[in-house]
Amino acid sequence: MDHIDMNRLKQGEINLGTSIMAVQFQGGVVIGADSRTTSGSYIANRVTDKLTYLHDRIYCCRSGSAADTQAIADFGHYYLQIQTQAMGEAPTVLTAAAVMEKMCYQNKDQLSAGIIVAGWDKKTGPSVYNIPLGGGLFRQPWAIGGSGSTYVYGYCDATYQEGWGKDETVNFVKNTLALAMSRDGSSGGTIRMCVITGDGVERKFIPGDQLPRFWEGKEVLGEVTKKPPPAISAVAGVAPMAVEV
Amino acid sequence: MAAASVYSSPGFDFSNQIRNNFLAGKGLPLPKATSTGTTIVGCIFEDGVILGADTRATEGPIVADKNCEKIHYLTESIRCCGAGTAADTEFVTNLISSNMEMHALTHGRKPRVVTAMTMLKQYLFQHQGQVGAALVLGGVDATGPNLFTIAPHGSTDKLPYVTMGSGSLAAMAVFESTWQPNMSRADALQLVKDAISAGIFNDLGSGSNVDACIITATHTEMLRNVEMPNERVQKERTYVFPKGTTAWKKEDIKKLVLTEEITPLAVEAMDTT
Amino acid sequence: MSIMEYNGGSVIAMVGKDCVAIASDLRLGNQALGISSNFQKIFPVTDRIYLGLPGLATDVTTLRERFRFRVNMYTIKEGREIEPETFAHLVSSTLYERRFGPYFIEPVMAGLAKSATGGFKPFIAATDLIGCLNFAKDFVVAGTASSKLYGVAEGLWEPDLEPEQLFETISQTMLNAVDRDAYSGWGVIVHVIEKDKVTTRTLKGRMD
Repeated sequence: MDHIDMNRLKQGEINLGTSIMAVQFQGGVVIGADSRTTSGSYIANRVTDKLTYLHDRIYCCRSGSAADTQAIADFGHYYLQIQTQAMGEAPTVLTAAAVMEKMCYQNKDQLSAGIIVAGWDKKTGPSVYNIPLGGGLFRQPWAIGGSGSTYVYGYCDATYQEGWGKDETVNFVKNTLALAMSRDGSSGGTIRMCVITGDGVERKFIPGDQLPRFWEGKEVLGEVTKKPPPAISAVAGVAPMAVEV
Repeated sequence: MAAASVYSSPGFDFSNQIRNNFLAGKGLPLPKATSTGTTIVGCIFEDGVILGADTRATEGPIVADKNCEKIHYLTESIRCCGAGTAADTEFVTNLISSNMEMHALTHGRKPRVVTAMTMLKQYLFQHQGQVGAALVLGGVDATGPNLFTIAPHGSTDKLPYVTMGSGSLAAMAVFESTWQPNMSRADALQLVKDAISAGIFNDLGSGSNVDACIITATHTEMLRNVEMPNERVQKERTYVFPKGTTAWKKEDIKKLVLTEEITPLAVEAMDTT
Repeated sequence: MSIMEYNGGSVIAMVGKDCVAIASDLRLGNQALGISSNFQKIFPVTDRIYLGLPGLATDVTTLRERFRFRVNMYTIKEGREIEPETFAHLVSSTLYERRFGPYFIEPVMAGLAKSATGGFKPFIAATDLIGCLNFAKDFVVAGTASSKLYGVAEGLWEPDLEPEQLFETISQTMLNAVDRDAYSGWGVIVHVIEKDKVTTRTLKGRMD
């Protein structure tokens, strides 16, 4: 339970153990997350959708307490709807991120929420904003968050390059999350991703048996007579569960 | 202050807390409230939602109620299973049921399941987990069948099959091994019964009977005690004591008025002068 | 030691054939020290509703007055006597109002409800200290001897007991359970409520 106390979670609170990520590219942003929600050691939801709608071209990735981040996202969603009616046009990603940051900072004593806001707007094009635990608003070309992120900072630093297109960015997000999920016990399940561009939002779903695989270790002691693991064959007809809130 | 005692303000009253904290500080721990150790489940099937619950209420290690009702009414086509502190689940569902009726009246149409979900999560979030209600919310509305879980801190999950309470692990094991998309009504009901039974027999906090509620677009069917696998066997003999077994020192009999007859003495014309 | 054991005391209510019974012990203690052997915990609410309030003695007194006040207000506003089920909800909401600073009382109610045909239907209920209602068809118990009362009542109670049989059953249940509880005892009082009379008897019990 050390881990949960560290995150200042209330007794019995539901936790988004989480690996989340957002990366900006030429035409838009790619956001991604694992799908695990835990309550202690129990997986309360294995197909969670942590990529939450704020506005037509603005999403957020949630990490920390499920209740807190849902409440913040619900408020952000409500605020942006009012804002859109008042201004007569879609809000910028900065506006959305600033509102979310304000909530996180002003209520920092009562919240445990680490949020990444990402999206596309007419003024600045694609952008990614990181809002860490106690508040603060940082624009970054890429951002990772949640308990799983600590395992993959090095990988991201070594791999990320400017000037990528959509496909390279999607692959980067997919690989990073798969690595984080394999090392972090409170991340796992499937990968959900969104590609947000000026043209629209495209959702992607990677089932748990089709995650990218990397070096998985081999026996150091004992015989090496074991056969290598069978190649992964894509299971035909796997479709994402319809669970988007 | 006189007015306050007649019309007390709505909401919780904290005025005993200073005294109670003092008492607790002297090493007298707070007594346990009734909790529903509970297995509750929900499952979407081809034309609606089925909710299920066991019927045991516990007070620590004591079974306080062997046949309580854990499937609460919210609206005609939205129901809610409660786990956790029994009083909290009872009062929070009553409150939201009332608000849903008001919502339906002000807007002139049937309220949606997400409306109930939002009301419940906002109420529970406001109270920061102090109101200990863990809920399974299900129903059918204009958008089709809906199923949610709501945790005491106010987080929600939307899934095709859900379990909550201390028996949730046993029940989820049944769902994870046998659930299929688009099940028939009969298959889904059997699955819900099996999931609750798994809780009843494998979780100490759950027990007694199975309640189920089948909600479709046109009809809601509450199946109270749809399965009773733990009925008490007939007692082999009776223990009626003969009159006079108990010695008593004093008796006082208070006669009660059963019926009153009114006999008018004389009919007198009204004075209209 | 819990606050509920500070003064001690237990109450039980049982359903019979066209009658109900409610019984309590008469002890008031200060932890292990006995203070009084005539501490009433059961109070008449109307002619046909009796309310037992086991728990912290200061709250017994406070709640008795609070319920008297609220029932009087109900009677004045409605122009009629309160029905047992309505009263049970009144008790429940009064306690839940103090959800986060409760009274240390677990009320037990017994009464006869007027049915639409003019007859009377037995009614018993109990709540926990924050007002969670438990409508039972057989019996309800509360107080420091509750675990013992559950066991004895589970064995002795049976359906459709006549008033005199119900008196013996509830009396024996109470006397025997209370003898195994250090914080309850010092005499027992029993009320048997029938449609036309209420019989109150003080039992001969162990005084140790």
